[in-house]
Amino acid sequence: MPYSIVVLIKQIPDIDQLRTDPNTGEPQMQNLPLRTENLSKNAIEAAVQIKEKYGGKVTGIIFGREQSTASMKEAYAMGVDDGIIVTGYQRSEPSVTARVLAEKIKQVPPHDLIILGNQSADSYTGMLPGRLSRILGIPLVGNAVKIECSSDQVKVTRATEEGNMVVQGKVPLIISVAQEINTPRLPAVLQIMAAGGRKPIRTEAAQNLSYPDVRVISNRAPKSERKRIIYEDMGKAVPEIVKVIKEAMR
Amino acid sequence: MKLFVFSDSPDIMKQMLTYLREKGEITAATTSGDADIGKFGASVLYRLKGNHMPDSVARTVAGLVRKENYDAMFFGSTVLGREVAGFVSEDMGLTSVTEIVDLRFEGNRAVTKRFFLGGKTVLEEESQAKVFTVMPGITDPQEAGSASKEQEVQEEASALSLVEVQPKKAGTVDIEKAQIIVAVGRGLGKKEGLQQIEPFAQKINGVVAGSRPVCLDYQWLTEDRQVGLSGKKVKPKLYIALGISGRSST
Repeated sequence: MPYSIVVLIKQIPDIDQLRTDPNTGEPQMQNLPLRTENLSKNAIEAAVQIKEKYGGKVTGIIFGREQSTASMKEAYAMGVDDGIIVTGYQRSEPSVTARVLAEKIKQVPPHDLIILGNQSADSYTGMLPGRLSRILGIPLVGNAVKIECSSDQVKVTRATEEGNMVVQGKVPLIISVAQEINTPRLPAVLQIMAAGGRKPIRTEAAQNLSYPDVRVISNRAPKSERKRIIYEDMGKAVPEIVKVIKEAMR
Repeated sequence: MKLFVFSDSPDIMKQMLTYLREKGEITAATTSGDADIGKFGASVLYRLKGNHMPDSVARTVAGLVRKENYDAMFFGSTVLGREVAGFVSEDMGLTSVTEIVDLRFEGNRAVTKRFFLGGKTVLEEESQAKVFTVMPGITDPQEAGSASKEQEVQEEASALSLVEVQPKKAGTVDIEKAQIIVAVGRGLGKKEGLQQIEPFAQKINGVVAGSRPVCLDYQWLTEDRQVGLSGKKVKPKLYIALGISGRSST
């Protein structure tokens, strides 16, 4: 059966390029490029693979900013059919993001599968799948490493700390994916540029966002408590290192 | 203060109970069968009975927290814990602060610390959050003097069915529990370099782990050996890093 799939995509600052101020320890966010979050790419790949195998349609939704068109073009080049960007993202706040996304998901029915990353690489909250499940009233199967579809029944292999759990459920389902599920395809730059020209991207502004009262006291690089001992003399280093190893082995 | 604590992981549960029991009276709930959890200072311990499907655990826990007026709720950060925390936050309309490594209350405000921006910074915040997910290793577990009053709770019906549980394969290592870790990074140069590392690790009773590039990009090691923010959180007595720059990344 063809599946109607919603994939939730997050665009994040490229934290691999992030530097912190050597004096204050504060992150230097200015001019930091944005990129599609890694697990979002796994989510897109999972959705597109299901579409390629069984037919259907993949709708991508981003809660982001004007610049999020770059991530949507990339999603199009990977095989996403339709894209909606909701602008107005201010900061990582799962309660707000969940509400914005849930509202948009409700507007694009019907959806059999809602696929998203399990935890994003910048803020790591991991709250979105559970919150969406509650708002939408759709069961959640999280941290999927394998998705197998058979008409309206979907079997998901879920990786937990204790091992894998194979769980089956009827659509609609929310599935959050782990990085192990697939290797996202890498569309060529030309494909990404062409994708934006071919298909329109719907952009809407989020309405009535109400961010909770959270006050940032500090946001700094953690202080390193390393002793930074450097041995230049091998003869001195070996006994010291052996001592440390023996101590740990006790 | 009246606190509620949930985890499916006996280890994180014992750590959280040890950390929180000085701050208030604790009601705990777990899906774990670990007999010792009742020794760590919770007044009441609910044992959830069932298949532990994410939707039924989430609804069952949401029901438990609604029975009392808790000042704060804590969830161990595991796959299931984050799902349940997201669901409960939304169900109660509460703000959540995630992956905390430190907490103190100032009146009715919580002051928390968590890693942010892929671990490059520590974010200290003050909020009215009442739901928290707790990183593994917040403290070392220590038994309390008294035993919890234990009670079994049948999990609510699930829309999902359990097909199969696949315990961790033999040979998979639990680097989270390892006392000595020899971690390698891409500075190792090539996969064959591991042939020099493995005998050394064995000799010192250590396990071999790897950075994200080594486990995910080059696949020199399996992903159950991945350390770092997107991998396992480890807390060994001795950690030897070889060919890892130490620059924080995901």
